Amino acid sequence: MEEKDIRDDIAWAQINVDVLRSIEKPRLSFWLLFCFAGCLFLIGVACEVYQWRKGLGVANFDNPHVWGLYIASFIFWIGMSHSGTLLSAILHIIHADWRKPIYRFAEAMTTFSLMTAGLFVMVHLGRLWKFYYSLPYPNERWTWPNFQSPLLWDAMAIFTYLTSSILFLYVGAIPDFAICRDNATGWRKHFYSWLSLGWMGTDRQWRNFRVTYLTIACFLIPLAVSVHSIVASDFAMSQQPGWHVTSFPPYFVAGALYSGCAAIITLFIVLRHTFRFEEYMTLPILDKIGRLTFVIAMVWTYLNFVEYASVWYGDDMYAKDLLIQKATGPYSPFWWTMNFCGSVIPFLLISKTIRGNLTAMMIISLLLNLGMWLERWMIVAPTFSHGYYPWTMDHNQWPSFVQWGMVLGSFGWFGLLFMLFCKLVPSVSMYEVKEMVYHRTLAQKKYAREA
Amino acid sequence: MSIRTMLENWEKYRTTHPSGDLHKDHPEYKWAMAIDLDTCTGCNACVVACYAENNVPVVGKERFEHGQTMHWIRIERYWNDEDADTPNQGAQFLPMMCQQCEAAPCETVCPVGATNHTPDGLNSQIYNRCIGSRYCSANCPYKVRYFNWYDYPEQEIAWPEPLPMQLNPDITVRTKGIMEKCTFCIQRLRTAQSTARTEGRLVKDGEVTTACAQACPTGAITFGNLADPYSQVAKMWRQQQVELHKDRQDKDKTGDNGGVRGYRVLEELRAYPSIMYLERVRDTNA
Amino acid sequence: MSTVRILGLFNDFDLASYALREVRDAYLPALNRDDITIKSPIEHPDVEELLGYRPAPIRRYTLIGSLLGGILGFLFLASSQGNFFAQQKGGKPIIPFPPDIVLTYEMLILGGVYITVLGFLISAGLPARMKSELYNTKISEDQIGVLVKSDARTIAEIKKIFEKHLAISITEEVIE
Repeated sequence: MEEKDIRDDIAWAQINVDVLRSIEKPRLSFWLLFCFAGCLFLIGVACEVYQWRKGLGVANFDNPHVWGLYIASFIFWIGMSHSGTLLSAILHIIHADWRKPIYRFAEAMTTFSLMTAGLFVMVHLGRLWKFYYSLPYPNERWTWPNFQSPLLWDAMAIFTYLTSSILFLYVGAIPDFAICRDNATGWRKHFYSWLSLGWMGTDRQWRNFRVTYLTIACFLIPLAVSVHSIVASDFAMSQQPGWHVTSFPPYFVAGALYSGCAAIITLFIVLRHTFRFEEYMTLPILDKIGRLTFVIAMVWTYLNFVEYASVWYGDDMYAKDLLIQKATGPYSPFWWTMNFCGSVIPFLLISKTIRGNLTAMMIISLLLNLGMWLERWMIVAPTFSHGYYPWTMDHNQWPSFVQWGMVLGSFGWFGLLFMLFCKLVPSVSMYEVKEMVYHRTLAQKKYAREA
Repeated sequence: MSIRTMLENWEKYRTTHPSGDLHKDHPEYKWAMAIDLDTCTGCNACVVACYAENNVPVVGKERFEHGQTMHWIRIERYWNDEDADTPNQGAQFLPMMCQQCEAAPCETVCPVGATNHTPDGLNSQIYNRCIGSRYCSANCPYKVRYFNWYDYPEQEIAWPEPLPMQLNPDITVRTKGIMEKCTFCIQRLRTAQSTARTEGRLVKDGEVTTACAQACPTGAITFGNLADPYSQVAKMWRQQQVELHKDRQDKDKTGDNGGVRGYRVLEELRAYPSIMYLERVRDTNA
Repeated sequence: MSTVRILGLFNDFDLASYALREVRDAYLPALNRDDITIKSPIEHPDVEELLGYRPAPIRRYTLIGSLLGGILGFLFLASSQGNFFAQQKGGKPIIPFPPDIVLTYEMLILGGVYITVLGFLISAGLPARMKSELYNTKISEDQIGVLVKSDARTIAEIKKIFEKHLAISITEEVIE
């Protein structure tokens, strides 16, 4: 008989105890890791201060390479954010119960990835202190931002997505905050009392909760698709070779789901080990995520290949030249690594043994995300090296330590936020796990009766 | 007020540009250029004049080699081995500056609207609105937009004493984080247009010119008002059978460019540039 | 007559639903459907249905929110773009449809989500003041609570029903 996603004889009280243990006072190892993330973040801050004072030239930008790792990382982080929506919303609508123990931290990952991506938009600006010009606020000159610009669409879409994700995460966690409130003392009790809004689990509250959750999930799915399509439009709506490709929006969305799934696997293994969630984040669930990742990897591979195929079929000599440059020029090691990590490594996920091996899955998920990060870089940089105008072609420009420092800093920032989250919000959704266990017991009873 | 403005002008708001009719799009002025590549000797006088007229800072040798250039007009040097019996024949020069495209790819993508199309056919760059997202430069097919990577006015190398006294008071000095590019010396154009308007007339051909056209020793650059059918530049465009609103000229269909030398760079991208280049005369046919 | 509240805690949904069924079937004239509340750690639509159907009017809020978001969004965009009639961009119309459609779509979703959440808070009665209702922390753990508010005589009947169905604990409170 197939291994179950979760044991059906877990006592509900036990669920409370196990998960609440994860938000108790942190141990030394937590603080060490927190400080480490803080140091990475400070590196990023230091690089930004240096860049603010000197000018963007220190990041090694030049004409024509006006964009670099900042935009690549921005897209990478927005991509990571699709994981939460995939698990929370899409799998909810198709009643895939196995998502229940893991969607809370995935939703948190979404929120924090979006916050990190927002940082990158700001640091990549030449006059960061004037970034508010891009916000639509009434002023005495009646100037509004240029709504035709895909960057502006980014601003609107990401704002919508971020706030909607926060609301979705919060609303979905209200019953869990009630549990925390009921088991807390001191300042924590006040904190969770405020957060849980007096939730008592009445039938009126549950009835409305059900409908609300489903409704917001139905909104979040087209929103997530549109957000990453809009980010893809930053490139697709330009006319540069290598960018003006109609398949970019779905390609980016597939890449986003891909890197989101890989990140979920990474965090799954980390959280399972750190908080001893073996009963909840079980190996069968990891198996399912592994299979889902493989499927999305194949979708991404296909769309990637379609881009190359359409260049091969088309008559656009600029695009063809650019593709050959990507494969043979100075960016080729990164391009080939991206293709290898993105298209070849997922085939390891076919094997059930590998899917059940935690070390292997950890390494694979990190490699997959490396491939996806490289993909974003390989979309941004080669087109600048090899545009329409031969005089401006320059294949020898690389990011400086300032850019790398900020990329590191972004991981530190994400780590800080995520660790704070793990200690303040239950990272496994207690009420949903109880539902999962309850429905399995019902199913067992029904099975036993019919047998 | 805005909703009323929108409703009253709905028709006007929904038209695209350029329409086929130059005089409908630009009834008074449409600034354009014609650059004769046969006459151009690559002497760089236009580049120096542009530096002087527009307060363009010198970035220094190190940064220039690093690619962080700042020159609104650049002389591109091409070497064609096949043409070369002598070194003189192989070298070709192309002065490239902002093409002031009628359907500029840079204008749509600026998130704050720092670059727009003026009624007299220029691509404007509003320095104090620019927040430095550099999308305009990313989208420019000619890569003629230049970014202030550092705070050049703060640096000794840009204008060492007493050069700040030479700065043109009609134009600002830009700080870091701002995009800039050739403006067809808009400060000169506005002064001339203002004078002409006070006198109740239009600007006459030859009354105003850009710094580069003024400095060119061989007269390779012709600048003028394309909407004035008697201007030098309009006559040259007509002679060369190049029309502003076409992405492929009628003469290109005959295969030998209609026997004339005029062309526009990357015309097929449908940016509708306002600068026409006249191809170098090659001796191979003789 | 004084109003009394009683909270009975049960071990699982089966026992709670038997008790509810008996409460419903026992002819207790002073009892309304609104006087009975079920408090549970997880949702159970079938048990809630035992008491009778109640609507969850969230979707009305959603519809209004999305329509408002979409229409106001488009009007805002078009009128702000209309201010720039002197400044064409890239040869495109002053009020172009592709960007406006994309942004109207986003604003539609924004309005929909925000007003849905607002509707949720209104319909569910959150934030709720916990002091005004009987509550037990075991409800958020693993016990199902049935709360009934009525006069003393009816409550006495209900207490008997609770005891019959093995309620783990019964709490009573006199309100006035």
